[in-house]
Formats: sequence, C-alpha cells, structure tokens
Amino acid sequence: MSFREKSAWINFVLLLAFAIYFGNVALHMLDPTRPHANYLQLFVLLVVAIVVLEIITHAVIALRSPREARTPIDERERLIELRSTRPAFYVLLVGAFLSVGTIHIGASTWLLAHCVLFAIWAAELTRYGSQLYHYRRGA
Amino acid sequence: MSASPISNHIRRLRFEHREMTQQALAERIGVTRQTVNAIELGKYSPSLEVAFRIAAVFAQPLEAVFQFREPVSPRRRA
Repeated sequence: MSFREKSAWINFVLLLAFAIYFGNVALHMLDPTRPHANYLQLFVLLVVAIVVLEIITHAVIALRSPREARTPIDERERLIELRSTRPAFYVLLVGAFLSVGTIHIGASTWLLAHCVLFAIWAAELTRYGSQLYHYRRGA
Repeated sequence: MSASPISNHIRRLRFEHREMTQQALAERIGVTRQTVNAIELGKYSPSLEVAFRIAAVFAQPLEAVFQFREPVSPRRRA
C-alpha cells in the first residue's frame, strides 16, 4: 500500500469521528428536550483530536517508509485525486442546495449551519472514499 | 470495467534487464512503485512522457514496450 493510500485511509477514518458530533446534533433535533452536549466544545475537541492524530499517524507512516513519503505525487495519484474531487463536488452541491432549502421550511440558522457543515463532511468523506476506491482498483 | 486497449512488455523487459525491480524502475522514471505495478497490470495507461521514459530506461522504441489494440465493439463483432 502506497504512502498516499495509507494517508487517505487515515484521513477517511479520522473524519468518521465527526459522526459523534453529528450524532449528537441529530439526537437533539429528534428530541429537543433531551439534554445535549456543548456543541462548540465538542466540535473544538474533535478538531483538535483529529489534527493531533493526523500529525502522529502521518509521522508514523512517514517514518516507516521515508523514501515513499519523500516521493512527490505522481501522475496516477494526481489523477486519482482529480477523479475523487468530482463526486465530492456533487455531494457538496446537493448538500448546499438542500441546506438553503431548509430556510424555506422555517429552519433556524443553527440548523442551516449544521446542514452546511454536514454537507462539507459528507463531501470530504466522499472524496477520501473515492480515493480509496481508485487506489484499490489500481487507477 | 473494460480492459485497457494498451498492453505492455514491462515485466519481461525488467526481467531481461538484470531482474530490475519495480521500485528501481519507478525511481528511474519518477513515479511510485504502485504506479509501475498498475501500468504493468494494464490497470493504468501512463502519460506519453512516462511511456517514453520507460522505453528509454530499457533502450527500446516505444512500440516495443507498449502495444495498442483497437477494442472490438459489440456491433463490429456481430
């Protein structure tokens, strides 16, 4: 497995941690009386944890294969990145339109912000998921 | 997924060049080992530049390394 494929796996798995945040938001939306977490605190905590884990895991895989880590991105990897951006863009586009749509059903700015945030998260997961699919397929 | 119309003799050429490893070839043409593997298996068609670099490593003309076979469409086959 190449360094960049490992990196894509790390990014994909660590991004999944945001499911904790969106799970909390979804539970609060379903039952507004339910006591909820401090969203800002949880969000900042997750971002910091993900950044720290990204640095540690990438340092570990770079140390395990330093030559590969130093190799600049090649044409196949660049193609994989480009191909993966396309489906992610569509996910973001649909998510953005649906988020705007929530205004018309009287949703609060809090919900709108979370819909946009969810669309960004889903688009990033799609991007890394698509990269993994192409890496597994070979190109 | 349809099979690539481009085939190659990289594996044989590597073997004939003192069993050159995929890693060694990859370093000489400036790509990753996984990309060389994908090219060898026909999963990825390289750019013209990389194709020429591979041919240059083996001191062969391009057509001795890569072959193009026109895919037969189902209508033509019938």
